[in-house]
Amino acid sequence: MTSAVSVRGLWKRFGQQVAVAGIDLELPAGKFIGLVGPNGAGKTTTLSMVTGLLRPDQGSVEVVGRDVWRDPVEVKARIGVLPEGLRLFERLSGRELLAYSGRLRGLPGAEVDKRATQLLDVLDLAGAQHKLVVDYSTGMRKKTGLAAALLHNPEVLFLDEPFEGVDPVSAQTIRGVLERYTASGATVVFSSHVMELVESLCDWVAVMAAGRIRAHGPLAEVRGEAASLQQAFLELVGANGRDAGSDLDWLGGGAR
Amino acid sequence: MSGNVTGIVVRLKLSLLRNGLRQSGGRRAAYIASAVVVLLFAVLQLLGLIMLRGTAHADSLVVLLVAVLALGWAVMPLFFPGGDETLDPTRLVMLPLRPRPLVRALLAASLVGIGPLFTLCLFTGSVIAIARGGAAYAVGVIGVVLALLVCVALARAVAAANIRLLSSRKGRDLAVLSGLVIAIGAQVVNFGAQQLGSSGLDRLDPAADVLRWVPPASAIGAVESVSQGSYGTGALQLALSAGALVALIAVWSRHLTRLMTSPDGSTLQTATTAAVRERSSTGLARLLPAGRTGTVMERSLRYVWRDPKTKAAWVTSLAIGLLVPLFNAMQGTGSIYFACFAAGMLGIQMYNQFGQDTSAFCMVAMTISSPRDAYVELRGRALALLLITLPYATLVTVLTTALLGDWPRLPEALGLSFALLGAMLATGAWTSARFPYSIPQEGYKNVAPGQAGLAWISIFGGMIAAALLCAPVIAVTIWLNVAEGGGTWTWLLLPVGAAYGAVLTLLGLRLAAPRTAGRLPEILTAVSKG
Repeated sequence: MTSAVSVRGLWKRFGQQVAVAGIDLELPAGKFIGLVGPNGAGKTTTLSMVTGLLRPDQGSVEVVGRDVWRDPVEVKARIGVLPEGLRLFERLSGRELLAYSGRLRGLPGAEVDKRATQLLDVLDLAGAQHKLVVDYSTGMRKKTGLAAALLHNPEVLFLDEPFEGVDPVSAQTIRGVLERYTASGATVVFSSHVMELVESLCDWVAVMAAGRIRAHGPLAEVRGEAASLQQAFLELVGANGRDAGSDLDWLGGGAR
Repeated sequence: MSGNVTGIVVRLKLSLLRNGLRQSGGRRAAYIASAVVVLLFAVLQLLGLIMLRGTAHADSLVVLLVAVLALGWAVMPLFFPGGDETLDPTRLVMLPLRPRPLVRALLAASLVGIGPLFTLCLFTGSVIAIARGGAAYAVGVIGVVLALLVCVALARAVAAANIRLLSSRKGRDLAVLSGLVIAIGAQVVNFGAQQLGSSGLDRLDPAADVLRWVPPASAIGAVESVSQGSYGTGALQLALSAGALVALIAVWSRHLTRLMTSPDGSTLQTATTAAVRERSSTGLARLLPAGRTGTVMERSLRYVWRDPKTKAAWVTSLAIGLLVPLFNAMQGTGSIYFACFAAGMLGIQMYNQFGQDTSAFCMVAMTISSPRDAYVELRGRALALLLITLPYATLVTVLTTALLGDWPRLPEALGLSFALLGAMLATGAWTSARFPYSIPQEGYKNVAPGQAGLAWISIFGGMIAAALLCAPVIAVTIWLNVAEGGGTWTWLLLPVGAAYGAVLTLLGLRLAAPRTAGRLPEILTAVSKG
């Protein structure tokens, strides 16, 4: 099995706090891969380092067999990134943003415009394509970011919380596009803390908590005996059995 | 019930004022300092107005002051929508209130604060400056109250009528430009005051003759009329102000009722039909070079127009770059070398290029994989800047020369301008790569907390470096002007300065490119704090 992403001994500290504590990971190519973990587990930091947007303290990252830090020309042309926090040029319209992003990547103008039109149609953004991104809803921004990340037809797509704050209709649209994309042999790596989503989308998962990888492998393997990925996850991070039942006994049951 | 509501809203206003003191140390200091400064000004202008008493044209000056202050009240809510939370009636929409008591309560609350106090001082001072006789003082008391109420009601009516705008993105964009309006307005006022100082106050009379019939200035104008014994005129002027007050309250009350009973439009989706403006590509894009250079230039130029922070910075630079040399030339104190101000001010826009992108720099970083990419990116940004700067600096220099009539010096002034521009672009590119910092998108700040030092190093270090880089051209200029027979060769400074500036720019970009390419993650982190 070939690796889409290969991470060795990856570390990142912010002051006293260790965000990523020595990760080793091989992500298989051609899969829909979920990186799951609670808030603050180090998912975003890991994805940022893997995509070359954050310099690691230690460790190496290879994407499609090339070192991210030593061979950025090859890597950056082959990956697409939807970063956390919707980092887009807000004062461009959706269409202008795609035109800008595609041309920056050196694609011919006519090809960029053709692909942008198709992406805007498929992602249901055609009606708002001339509005400024600053006036978009969260779902529209995520879809615009996704379109910008897909425009140059990357081999590996990295998505940081692509479904957070997205309405069900937009989520379904994003899902459809991603499924079609992986069916063609491309790799999607996305982070999320919504287990149901990961379970229904991914065929391969890596579970992160407190800066470390707790488990990784095909979905069925990681889930094991547990009833759902949610259960398996809670057992893995040791958060099971915490119960809020005894407090808040005044809550509900009419005003008293 | 209504007294009750009034009491509650006034107390709310008082708590809001008090809470200004309960912020972090620096902000509290700023809050107190601004309050003290305003109070000091209030006292000073009160004293100044009292001293004006009996001077010729005092009446004209006073009427003009009141009118200007009223104008300030009218535009203030547009520029500082966040300044007074009780100004936003939609915050009270969940409370079961009827319009009439609400209007009374909000009007009373608006009278509480530093702004109204300042206004009260100015109006009182105005009355003291012009009133003669008991009747005039009596009219003065009524006039001051009326004028103050008109000002407050004016602010409220404007705010209520524009609340949709103020709570929308466009309104916030507008607010960012407000500092600018004030800065440029101050320049103009300063210039106007100097003109007045040199040519006397009687210039004010024609304007004042109109304004003494315009509320709320008419309420103060009435004092003057009564002092001169024209009781009928005075009564009419007072009545005008009173009528204006009633009309303003009616308008405000109507907007208020509509606001309280209709849904908040800020989250409604705008009709998609409005967005169907088919613009496949702007005319500008076709003129720009192909490839990354043109793409970068187009985006930079769009941002100059569309991004409020970038636009504010540009308009400031353009305005100051024009006003300083021209005003100095008009006052006869100018030198042609002041024209370099335009190049210097506009060159500042090259600084912190990536900070202007905010976290969207991420998109740029993903497409820079070699020093060559970084070079083309930086060059594109510099070219976009030059597209505006070169003609503008030339224009300012020519205008200044024309005003001074010093045509023989035009070539050397232009040459110096171009050399300075080149030096600013070079140092700007380098500091953009070496000392990037975030520009917060909301509010008035231009530096993210904790990065002020970086911004300081970047801009001032860069400007000093730019001045040093220009030293050879400056030295040659001085030498040619001092040396015997040098005057015939000063035209040489135009090609020399232009070439020197171009070489500096190219060198700066060449030096900045590998640094940019090598520091992409660090730059991204630095500019994403906003």
